[in-house]
Amino acid sequence: MTSSDQLRRILSLIPALADGEPHRIQDLIWDVGIDRALLLQDLQSITERFDVPGGFVEGLQIFLEADTISVVPNHFLRPMRLTKGELCALELGLAMLSSERPIEEHRAIHTARYRLESVIAKLPEEEIASDLRYATLSAAGDLEHLRRLREAFRQRRRVRLRYRKAAEERASVRVICPYGIVFASGMWYAVAHCDGADEVRIFRLDRIEGVEQLETKFTAPRENVVDKILREGRAFQGMPAGTLRVRYSPRIARWIAEREGKPLDQDGSLTVEHPLADSEWTVRHLLQYGPEVEVLEPSDIREVIVQRLDVIASVLSQ
Amino acid sequence: MTHGIATRASPARDDYMPSQKIQRWIDLLAALLKRRFPASLEELTREVPGYAITVSKTALRRTFERDKDELRAFGIPIETVTGPDGDTAGYRLQPGHFYLPYLTLRSATGTTKPKKIDQYGYKTLSTLTFEPDELNAVVAAAGRVRQLGDPLLAEHADSALRKLAADLPVDAAAPPDNELVPPRAKPSPELLATLGQALQNRKRVTFAYHGMGDGVETRRTVEPFGMFFLNQHWYLAARAPGEDTVKNYRVNRITEPTVNSSRPGTHDYQIPGGFDLRTHARSRHAWELGTGDAIDARMHFRANSGAASAALRLGEPIPGHPQDRRFRVRRTDAFARWLLSFAGDIVPVSPRSLVDEFRGLVRETLAHHSVPPSLRPSASPPVRP
Repeated sequence: MTSSDQLRRILSLIPALADGEPHRIQDLIWDVGIDRALLLQDLQSITERFDVPGGFVEGLQIFLEADTISVVPNHFLRPMRLTKGELCALELGLAMLSSERPIEEHRAIHTARYRLESVIAKLPEEEIASDLRYATLSAAGDLEHLRRLREAFRQRRRVRLRYRKAAEERASVRVICPYGIVFASGMWYAVAHCDGADEVRIFRLDRIEGVEQLETKFTAPRENVVDKILREGRAFQGMPAGTLRVRYSPRIARWIAEREGKPLDQDGSLTVEHPLADSEWTVRHLLQYGPEVEVLEPSDIREVIVQRLDVIASVLSQ
Repeated sequence: MTHGIATRASPARDDYMPSQKIQRWIDLLAALLKRRFPASLEELTREVPGYAITVSKTALRRTFERDKDELRAFGIPIETVTGPDGDTAGYRLQPGHFYLPYLTLRSATGTTKPKKIDQYGYKTLSTLTFEPDELNAVVAAAGRVRQLGDPLLAEHADSALRKLAADLPVDAAAPPDNELVPPRAKPSPELLATLGQALQNRKRVTFAYHGMGDGVETRRTVEPFGMFFLNQHWYLAARAPGEDTVKNYRVNRITEPTVNSSRPGTHDYQIPGGFDLRTHARSRHAWELGTGDAIDARMHFRANSGAASAALRLGEPIPGHPQDRRFRVRRTDAFARWLLSFAGDIVPVSPRSLVDEFRGLVRETLAHHSVPPSLRPSASPPVRP
């Protein structure tokens, strides 16, 4: 803990107490966002004095009871302006929003940024470096589609979706009711009721080729469908129909182990079970690893891989 | 019973020092904020007990300068005011530059009214009006930042919201309309905080880095240029002292970071003006990476599957050949593996060396998958020819 951290907490603590009335320490813990031990330590820092009589700070009298505290301050009655770090953190979030939100919302995001910049504490000639951090969730998929889906989700409007899976030659058209937008495993998804299938389906953003908002509205289910899916730990990879067991060679196993959070086998390889949802996607996914992966089960996936490789070999020999 | 805080008779030295500094800072800020005009160090010394007890004028000046610099680094705009002769006339902290302006929120029924303070220093504060959608954006932005897993960023975002909440109904702002499922491999909050501090203060940092290529852990000393969150991972963009190349270090592969503690308050390095973190952090395919020369590779798209259509957009069109695209490739091995993932929808046309490499990969992969695991002589790793 640095003195700066402590100063930041103290400067946000005093305005919360500034009315001179007793405040419950427990309530302050919530308001200031720190734990009890740290709060007491901060209070101790500004009240236990060794250079002047106890309890004396010019214009700042602090009184502590068993469960309450009151302060009679003349200074620090308002919070301090935003610090550079606080501005940069919010600017990073606003920049992320800007890339995800509909164009119509950009004005509000832009002016919010302007308002924040006008409440920052800085010397008149000081430059603020706000470009030390950058964040983006995913570059896969058309963010304009994401914006339209989000807008439809907010307005509770149905959308007509053109959707194409990895192996499909043509996109299919579906009418969906977007229940939520989720980011998982490096990809954006829309969780939606598919009118044609009459069930909740998960749609990957990078497979969406068109989003058209319809006039017809929908009523969101009383149960939070997205929460339920997350609680159940369902992978955002479609509905698993089986299990795929594969072994990655020691040449690539370290990367997979890191991604999956699994320990390596003794020989440096890694055996993993994945939910098997879409066999066509699975074949393509495994092919990217070339001879560094082997399918332990099911055997039909291995057979499809061999068939595909035979086709590629014959094309190359033409 | 209400009571003032008791003074401890004999504080432990470790506890004593930080408290003394915080008390000195608070006293200094109070002494500056109550004044309409700049204060000299002599005047401040009379009101800051921590200065009055220093043993010499030199020590007093040193302590004051350090306090001023650290408070400025924290963001408190203490001004040094000079007289007509150019000498320092005093120090000033204007309440309007320190305190948050009064904030109001416009709504259909009118504008909220913050509680104003009828005292010197607070009367002059300006008023700033937020629109509801602007406040919603700020609250959503803080939520986004919180989801990135960096505790320092989250703390700053939360701290900012608490300040705004003094006047604005932050809790009533629109809740986020999406959810993030956190990645499995997350760096430790302490590690992110340490690297963030090094970056903020432009200090060199030394750490152990687990290289994935060879599985070996090595010590690195680098100059941080930025941190970025991409594909659900935090990366440190940094340069080794004396080198030109800015490399990316995945933060969850970093351990034992130590920030250079010598010459505190000074920068160890400068980030070149031309460095743009956003451009540097752009998501790239593995075959675009590397320092070698890029080759022009021509691909033929045999099918229009969803995956192939997405890849088609990555390449450069070739006039008169709508099903062909040109790619700039630095790592042909990574490119061949990427091509293989399209299961024959895309095949290489040129150069010959790339076609041969792809053909060899197909042959090797076919031989590998043609033998069921149960018939393999052992589970030893495959050896590439």
